[in-house]
Amino acid sequence: MSSRQTRVQWSNRLIFGLFALTFASLPQSVLAVPSFARQTGLACEACHTVFPQLTPFGRVFKASGYTLFNTKKVEDINKLSQSILSISDLPPISASLMASTSDVAKADDSNSSKVSTDFPQQLSLFYAGRISDNVGAFVQITYDDQAGSIGIDNTDIRFADVANIDGHNVIYGLSLNNNPTVQDLWNSTPAWGQPFIGSPAAQAPAVPGAQIEYAMGQIVAGLSVYTYIDESLYVEAGVYRSALQGQSVADNGNTTNNIISGVAPYWRAAYEYDWGKNSWEFGTLGMYAALENPTTPAGNAINLSLQNAPTDRFLDMGLDSEYQFIDDENQVSIDARWIHENQNLDASYSAGFATNKSDQFDSADLTASYYWHRKLGASLSFFNISGSNDPLYLGTVSGNSNSSWGTAEIDFVPWLNVKLGLQYTVFMRFDGASTNYDGAGRNASDNNLLYGFLWVAF
Amino acid sequence: MKYRLAALLAANACLAVTVAFAADNPAVMKAAETKATRTCQDCHGSKGDSVSATYPRLNGQQADYITAQLKNFRDHSRADPHAQAFMWGMASQLDDAIIVELGKYYAGQTPTPPQSGGALAADGKKLYLTGAPAQSVPACVTCHGAHGEGNSIIPRLAGQHADYLKKQLEAFRSTLRDSDIMHANTKDMTDSQIEALVSYLAND
Repeated sequence: MSSRQTRVQWSNRLIFGLFALTFASLPQSVLAVPSFARQTGLACEACHTVFPQLTPFGRVFKASGYTLFNTKKVEDINKLSQSILSISDLPPISASLMASTSDVAKADDSNSSKVSTDFPQQLSLFYAGRISDNVGAFVQITYDDQAGSIGIDNTDIRFADVANIDGHNVIYGLSLNNNPTVQDLWNSTPAWGQPFIGSPAAQAPAVPGAQIEYAMGQIVAGLSVYTYIDESLYVEAGVYRSALQGQSVADNGNTTNNIISGVAPYWRAAYEYDWGKNSWEFGTLGMYAALENPTTPAGNAINLSLQNAPTDRFLDMGLDSEYQFIDDENQVSIDARWIHENQNLDASYSAGFATNKSDQFDSADLTASYYWHRKLGASLSFFNISGSNDPLYLGTVSGNSNSSWGTAEIDFVPWLNVKLGLQYTVFMRFDGASTNYDGAGRNASDNNLLYGFLWVAF
Repeated sequence: MKYRLAALLAANACLAVTVAFAADNPAVMKAAETKATRTCQDCHGSKGDSVSATYPRLNGQQADYITAQLKNFRDHSRADPHAQAFMWGMASQLDDAIIVELGKYYAGQTPTPPQSGGALAADGKKLYLTGAPAQSVPACVTCHGAHGEGNSIIPRLAGQHADYLKKQLEAFRSTLRDSDIMHANTKDMTDSQIEALVSYLAND
């Protein structure tokens, strides 16, 4: 392989890495929004232990389509006395700002700085609240300083209603959203899971997670139907299609990568048991996506006509669990998630971009967090990813992307909509090795990162 | 004069009919039930039998007490932390008629019985029935009834969540929850007396 080819491949790898990092960092951009508080008249603590972690009541509010309101409204009826307009007299608009500074243990290369500051790291505007009696929306538009542009962020538009069936309280509804699990009710699922905020300077492994965890946000559109019975049993099923930002798959005159072939089915089921101040949830989630013209983690892209593009197929099957203890003095959350992914790499293999026709991948994380009086908090997280050895597909020196890292964070929340935090991330293994993982002498611990942030919502 | 008296009597009769109609207005009753089973139930349970101790049980609670408290939330005269966090918003748009019907709805639900089986329950029962004269703690039974069932604006205590009862007694003691009477009754209560009372009255 020539040095030019090597440079191109590493350049592609870098692009994939940035892509992966961007989507791996999605949870950083989600939070509670004060427009919900303004709409409901409820303080943040009604729905959150500390944002963005939901309480049982917060889950009901979300499942009910963000429609609970306790404000004056503008209304209209038709001649049949049917409601044809019912909107709040105040638009549910909010904003959030994150600013941060990062210090990585060792700069990536001689051209990079060890220290970086991001102001703002993200600046978001939200429409978050009720649209009508049964329709509500969470729409986020974000300026991201790494992208240097404004773009659509997490979006969840819902129809919801509630019925009493044989003594059971049955909430049911539809969600139109752009990120699998952004509509979910528990913080043990990817879109709202830990880390809630992370450094833009953080290094991401070749494959930072399963497809459902990092690859779909903001480039898909999904419609799902769900029910939440007696605030315990949650069942949801839906489908996702590609909905790329900035381009149309139809008649765009170009080949396009990572397009969902047909639809990607999505499922979710969970059961929550509440007792006293405790709640415990256990659930499953998953997705099956066949991607046309896939791009490999190594940076190789298949560029064929979409009319006959081959596919790589990913089946994600996950389990998750969340335990919470919530009272006025102490708030404890423990979240766990494991996702197993079957990768059928027909397209990449036939193009010579994968060593194996099929690979396996596993992603697991465990987080425990504690807040005292919703004022002072600490959390510990552990993440582990592992998978098949596939040097061509992954493009790593070790041939796999096995990585593990842990994060410790302390937070100070002077007001419920202001959070100051200090986070330290330690990498034990990175892309299959703890030392010299890139063949150029870089160790996993060189990616260790100290990160301080300010996060305000108003 | 006779005509004036007749007109006044007629007006009073109309008013009485109007009040009676308002009190039993099926539309308001239905609206209150809908409110209770679609909104309030998210925290308090569909029949007021809440699961979480954060939210008080309302099943079997005195209608007048619920009415009074909802009005206190609405005008912010009850201002303890949970009142502000939850109920100021929830009560802000309720009108008097629906507040009255909400009180009736919950009063009509079957109350949760107290457990009365805790280790301190015997001490709690004694305190409830006889008070602690040395500390100017009067007997709770005088106002709250022989079985803790309450009376009118005096709330039912029996079967309430232990943690909720404890927090309210502490809030009265510290004046976090404003009530001259209950502050006077609790200001000299010790933590162990509160624990004992709760042990006698509550149901976790």
